Amino acid sequence: MTCEEFGRVLPELEGDHHNIEQEEHLKTCSFCSGLVSDLNAISAQARLLAEDQEPSPRLWNSIAIALRQEGLIRDPQASARLLGLRLGRWRLAWLKPVTIALVVGAALLLELQRIPRETPVAQQAATSVPVIGTADGVSQGSAIDADQVQLLNLVGSRAPAMRAGYESDLRAVNAYIRDAETSVRNNPNDAIAQQYLMNAYEQRAMVYEMAMNRALP
Amino acid sequence: MSMEPRETVAKLVVAVLFAGTVVATAETRKEFHFKVHRRASVSVANQFGPIWVKPSSGEEVVVTAVLHSDKVEVDHTYSLNRVSITSHLLSGADAESGRVEYQVLVPADANVTLHSATGPLRAERLHGDVILEGNTANVDVRDLVGGHVHIKTLDGPVTLTNVSDGHVEITSVGGDVALNSVNGPLVHVNSTSGRIVYDGDFGGGGEYSLMTHTGDIEATAPSYASIDVMASSTQGKVENDFPLQPTHTSLAAKAGSAFAGTMGKAASSVRLLSFSGKIHLKKR
Repeated sequence: MTCEEFGRVLPELEGDHHNIEQEEHLKTCSFCSGLVSDLNAISAQARLLAEDQEPSPRLWNSIAIALRQEGLIRDPQASARLLGLRLGRWRLAWLKPVTIALVVGAALLLELQRIPRETPVAQQAATSVPVIGTADGVSQGSAIDADQVQLLNLVGSRAPAMRAGYESDLRAVNAYIRDAETSVRNNPNDAIAQQYLMNAYEQRAMVYEMAMNRALP
Repeated sequence: MSMEPRETVAKLVVAVLFAGTVVATAETRKEFHFKVHRRASVSVANQFGPIWVKPSSGEEVVVTAVLHSDKVEVDHTYSLNRVSITSHLLSGADAESGRVEYQVLVPADANVTLHSATGPLRAERLHGDVILEGNTANVDVRDLVGGHVHIKTLDGPVTLTNVSDGHVEITSVGGDVALNSVNGPLVHVNSTSGRIVYDGDFGGGGEYSLMTHTGDIEATAPSYASIDVMASSTQGKVENDFPLQPTHTSLAAKAGSAFAGTMGKAASSVRLLSFSGKIHLKKR
C-alpha cells in the first residue's frame, strides 16, 4: 500500500481499526503513522467537548466553506448558515469529532499530494511575487503557492506554451478568492459574499482540473 | 514578355502547385459512422483543432476528421448508445502537427461533450445536453432548445445565440461571454475578469445570475421585461435605465453602486453582481 492509497482511505478509518495492509504500511511509514496519531488525538479531545459548548455559526460557516472547497459537500445550493442550522438538530457529541476529522483529513489529503511520486517532478521554490497592484482595494493579481508552482511545472513539462496562460489565470483566481474571503470575513451572514466565495473556488477548481488534464500523459 | 521571365514564372507556378500537392497529401481525411438510438452520448476530445457539431438527418453519428499530419491518430470507442472520439497525439506532435479538424453530425437529441484546448468549438440546432470545455477555445453555441448547456473556458470567449428552455451554466476565468436571446429556467455566468454582455428579455420566469470579479456587465432588455432585479458593484459604477418599483430586499440600494427593484410582474429573478466592474442595465 502506498501513501497515496492510504490517504484515500484515511477519512474512513475509525480509531485503531486497520486491516492488515494498512497496519503493514503504518509500521513502515512514519509520516502516515504520525498522521493517524494526530487524528486520533483530535478525535479524543473533541469527544470531551460538552454538548452545550456549541461552536459559533461563524465556525460552521468556515467549516462548510472549507468542505465545499475540498468537494466533500456536494450540494452547492445549501448556504453555510443553513448547514449550521441543520447540524444543530443532530447529536453533536458524535458529529463534532467526525466533522473535525473530515476537515483535518481533507487538509491531510492535500498534504499527501506533496509526497514525491515515482515520476520525477522538478522541484522549485515557491514563487513569492507580491500582489500585482491593488486598485481601490480589489486585488488585481495574487501570488501563487508551492503546490500551484508544482502544478504549473507539470503543465509546462507537457505543454510549455500553455504555462504562462495558466499562471496568469491562477493569479487572477487567487486574487478573486482573496477578495471574496475578505468579504465573507467582514460579512459572514451575507449570502452574496458567500456566493462570490463559492464562485471563486469553483473557478480555481476549474483551472486545476484543466491543468491536470494537460499535465497527465 | 521575354522568354526568360516567362520560363521563370512557369517554373514558379509548377513549384507552387507541387508544394500544394505535397501539403495536401500530408493531411488525411477519415470518416466514421455509428448507429445509435434516442439520447445517445457523443464525446469528442481534441487537443488542437476545431470541433463542429450539427444535427444529422437520422439515428446515426457521422464523424469526419481531417488530420494534419501522421503525428496524430483518431481513436474511437463505440458501445451500445455511446460514441467516444479522441485525438491521440503521438510522439513529437505539437499544436500544428497534432491538429485535427472535426465535423460531427449527431441526432438532435444526443447529449454532446466536447473538449479542446484551442478549439474553436461550435454546436448548433441540438436539443440534448451540451458540455463544452476549452482553454483558449472560442465557443459558439446557437439555436439550442430544451437541453442543458454547460461551458467552461479559461480565456476562450463564449457566445450563445438563441438558446432557450434549458439550464445554462458558463464558467470562464478571462473569456468574454456574450448571450444573445438566451432564456431559460436557469442562466448562470461565473467569470473572474471576462466581460459579460446579455441581450435578451430575461424571459421564461427563470433565475438569471451574471457574476464577475473584475469584469464589466452589460445587460440589455426590452421595456416590457418582467424582472425582479438586483445589481451591485463593490468598487465599480452601476447604471440603470429602467424605472424600477422598489422592493423589500437585504441589498441596500446605493446610488451609483447598487440598485434593486421590479419591472412588470417580476417573473424572472435577475442578479448582476461584480466586485469592481461596471454594471449597466440598458433598455432596448
